[in-house]
Amino acid sequence: MTEPLLRAKMLTKHFVTPRTAQTVKAVNGVSFDMFAGKTVGMVGESGSGKSTVGRMVVRLLKPTQGSVAFRGQDISLLPDRAVRRLRVDLQMVFQDPWSALNPRMRVKRIIQEPLLLHSKLSSSERSDRAEEIARSVHLNTDLLTRFPGELSGGQLQRVCIARAIATNPALIVLDEPTSSLDLSVRAGILDLLQELRENTGAAMLFISHDLGTVRLVSDHILVLYLGHIIESGPMNKVFDEPAHPYTQTLLSAHLPADPHADLHRHLLDGEIPSPIDMPPGCPFSTRCPLVREDCRTALPPMVDIDDGAQRAACIRIPEGTNQVNC
Amino acid sequence: MTLLRVKDLHTHFISRNLDNEIRIATALNGVSFELSRGEVLGLVGETGAGKSLTAYSIMNLLKPPARVVGGTVEFDGRNLRDLQSDDMNSLRGSEIAMVVQNPRSSLDPLTRIGEQLVRVHTAHSDATAATARARAVEILGSVGIPAPEERMQAWPHELSGGMAQRVLIAMALMNEPKLIIADEPTTGLDVTVQAQILDLLRELVETRNVAVMIITHDLGIVAHYCQRMAVMFAGRIVETGNVNSVFDNPAHPYTRTLIDATPERLRDLKHKVHGGGAPPNLYNLPTGCHYVERCRFADDVCNDPVAMEEVGAAHFAMCSHISAVRDGWLS
Amino acid sequence: MAEFFTVTQSLTNSMFRKVFSKVIGISRRSPTSVIGFVIIFIFGFLALLAPLLMPYDPVSSDPNKILNGPSLEHWFGTDGNGMDVFSRVIYGSRYGFGIAIPTVIVSLFLGVPLGLYAGYKGGNIDEAIMRVVDAFRVFPSIILALAVVAATGPSLLNVVLVIGVLDAPIFVRVVRAEVLALRSSSFIESGIIVGNPTWRILFVHLLPNAIQGATAQTAVRAAWAVRISATLAFLGIGIQPPTPEWGAMIRQGAEFMINGQWWVGIFPGVALIFMVLGFNMFGDGLQDLLDPKRRSGAK
Repeated sequence: MTEPLLRAKMLTKHFVTPRTAQTVKAVNGVSFDMFAGKTVGMVGESGSGKSTVGRMVVRLLKPTQGSVAFRGQDISLLPDRAVRRLRVDLQMVFQDPWSALNPRMRVKRIIQEPLLLHSKLSSSERSDRAEEIARSVHLNTDLLTRFPGELSGGQLQRVCIARAIATNPALIVLDEPTSSLDLSVRAGILDLLQELRENTGAAMLFISHDLGTVRLVSDHILVLYLGHIIESGPMNKVFDEPAHPYTQTLLSAHLPADPHADLHRHLLDGEIPSPIDMPPGCPFSTRCPLVREDCRTALPPMVDIDDGAQRAACIRIPEGTNQVNC
Repeated sequence: MTLLRVKDLHTHFISRNLDNEIRIATALNGVSFELSRGEVLGLVGETGAGKSLTAYSIMNLLKPPARVVGGTVEFDGRNLRDLQSDDMNSLRGSEIAMVVQNPRSSLDPLTRIGEQLVRVHTAHSDATAATARARAVEILGSVGIPAPEERMQAWPHELSGGMAQRVLIAMALMNEPKLIIADEPTTGLDVTVQAQILDLLRELVETRNVAVMIITHDLGIVAHYCQRMAVMFAGRIVETGNVNSVFDNPAHPYTRTLIDATPERLRDLKHKVHGGGAPPNLYNLPTGCHYVERCRFADDVCNDPVAMEEVGAAHFAMCSHISAVRDGWLS
Repeated sequence: MAEFFTVTQSLTNSMFRKVFSKVIGISRRSPTSVIGFVIIFIFGFLALLAPLLMPYDPVSSDPNKILNGPSLEHWFGTDGNGMDVFSRVIYGSRYGFGIAIPTVIVSLFLGVPLGLYAGYKGGNIDEAIMRVVDAFRVFPSIILALAVVAATGPSLLNVVLVIGVLDAPIFVRVVRAEVLALRSSSFIESGIIVGNPTWRILFVHLLPNAIQGATAQTAVRAAWAVRISATLAFLGIGIQPPTPEWGAMIRQGAEFMINGQWWVGIFPGVALIFMVLGFNMFGDGLQDLLDPKRRSGAK
């Protein structure tokens, strides 16, 4: 088996709120691997900690506990100066392209900035390279002299992606890159990401709450709930045979844009609990339709399903009573 | 029975720029549609297409520099544009209710939610505070809020996003409205909560015979919760019809692009999605079809004025090349 | 040839019309700023051309003409040393600008980087910087200025440095507030993720986006600097007479006021009032135009 490019081990992030001094347990022991050329899709509702995990992977945040090994080196403890050198390989694209770009910088300078910081190219070489990158994300090179405020949302997100791929990174985290874009623009960006996945060989972590989009771009799926991975597996397995009751309800709540699609919905009551006040035992026990007494006592471990490619954290799985019926 | 009939509605943003020249953004350019009781209409389109503006124009809630400059809004036999502001005020919140995005910012943060519900009712009826309170408790319960009696005492900041949206829907229902306009009612809510809110709206249509207009950019919601849909582009409705009919036989190239761009279709599609591109400049719209700059099928004819054409039973589209688009879409 | 002229003419015409309509647009939105700008412009004109405009040397005394009232020869009269008040008032505008501009520059150089750093770092660093800033602000600045200038000696340089340091907290606060508002937008994170060191985040990414509020403040702070330096001079610890500085002249004039020789103090006083007023009006207008939070009305 090939070595993973990045291995996250028992990642944990707790924040302390400034005034009330409560502990927000945003991420609680998340472990996963990422491989070159493969896309991991991370889904979960707001408050599931998925953005926090993404930021720890590229060391925008330091984990409270756990480690992130990139090419075998633990980057979670590196000093800032050393992390800056790693930025060549670790990049991120943010959710809101309108606020992700410096409004006072021209597009060309925005795309060139990573090269200025990480390469010894002359300014004319950088300029040529910026045009090349712009073309590779299908951005009209006429736009390079404009300011971000003059571009549309789709164009801005292309600039963000251009900036992220400028140094040919080995790993890119995409935090909801399409969720603030209009539908027809979104399709173009997804096309572009697909293209980059084939051409660059970078590992990608695609974070989204939109199951339809995640399904389109991912090889492997992680399902997060209250800062725990409750299910992980190959994309088709998780979407076709979800094992965890939460994954099943999440998939059933998705509305496909097709009036003829059958909806087998099993609805949940209530909402995701606060990460300040975590339920004991299984994090999903407060809403699970299949909950029973021993769910509330201890955190269920991840168990293998079939050959172990798919794993989920539910104590009912070994008994085979984990299916939520409509 | 038709409850709401909007005819040829025009709304403009009229302002002066730094050079002191008058600039007019033609944001709505002749919006027409009808809505009956017991019906759910989905209004879809991209950002800036004029979806929310249509709602605000109907409700007469525009602030300068936006102004309705033409058209009629007929609601229950009355032309809303002729009403005095007092009459319009008494209509809003009683016969027409609005549920907006960002539910939390629509609630008064300094007033307990029970008090807010009571006020909405007593402002529009002769009900005493006690009967209004009883009604508020009943309605909070009916929108799926557990322990409504206790929740009456809650402050808005204590509510989660989903709960706040339920309270807003409860507020909309306090006076038995005939029409509910829901502007992106589930944007920002999680999918599991979204389903709960939409189910609630559907139940209201079935049990109370209200008419609902859902403004959204999510075609999934339209596909499963609306009977009819209207697609907006640059201030005009470019296609309207029954949801099944529009999804099965989209006629306007913009509608086709939208439907092709949904993740479900993208997975099956062999070809790339055509479309995207910037929204047209509202200060200087094309003379004919507004979609002309982004359309593969555009030719000189498209610069002439376009009209709605019937493409099926109660299914209309505003395009001069409907058959050419149908035959040539996949090429 | 004639064609060429009409072309250039219509070109300058249209350019002129463009500039003109822009001026009209600004003055519609903020008429006070235009009045303020005109006042400052006139003072600037006086300061620049002072040697040409002054009928007499502002510091040469004529023992034969002590405390003469306004006349055709001496429009604003003469002072207790027999110096021409009109020439001194004109020359005083140089001191007005000479104090206002360097003071604001000192304040900006101190306040802006501190504000950027405090807002960006947050936490304990922010807390420490802001406590010092608050301490400066609650202490009556005139007393602090008096004390420091009295201790360091009354030179122009000292006055500028002291007032500049005392006024820096304003800029710290304004810039920090803008940085705090910007922290939520992800372009800062996006700057970190491509590997910008802290200094580049502060000065390349944050500064151009956080400077509007401070720029809008500069004219108002200039007015404050002119006023406080005049106050120091009036109290006798700022710039010393016979330097033609308005505050010092007002002090001198105050002694003669009771004898009815009003011209010595009133004319520099009026000049001072106009300059402060000009800076303030211009500053208010600047804030209206530059500060998005105060910008109102049509887009």
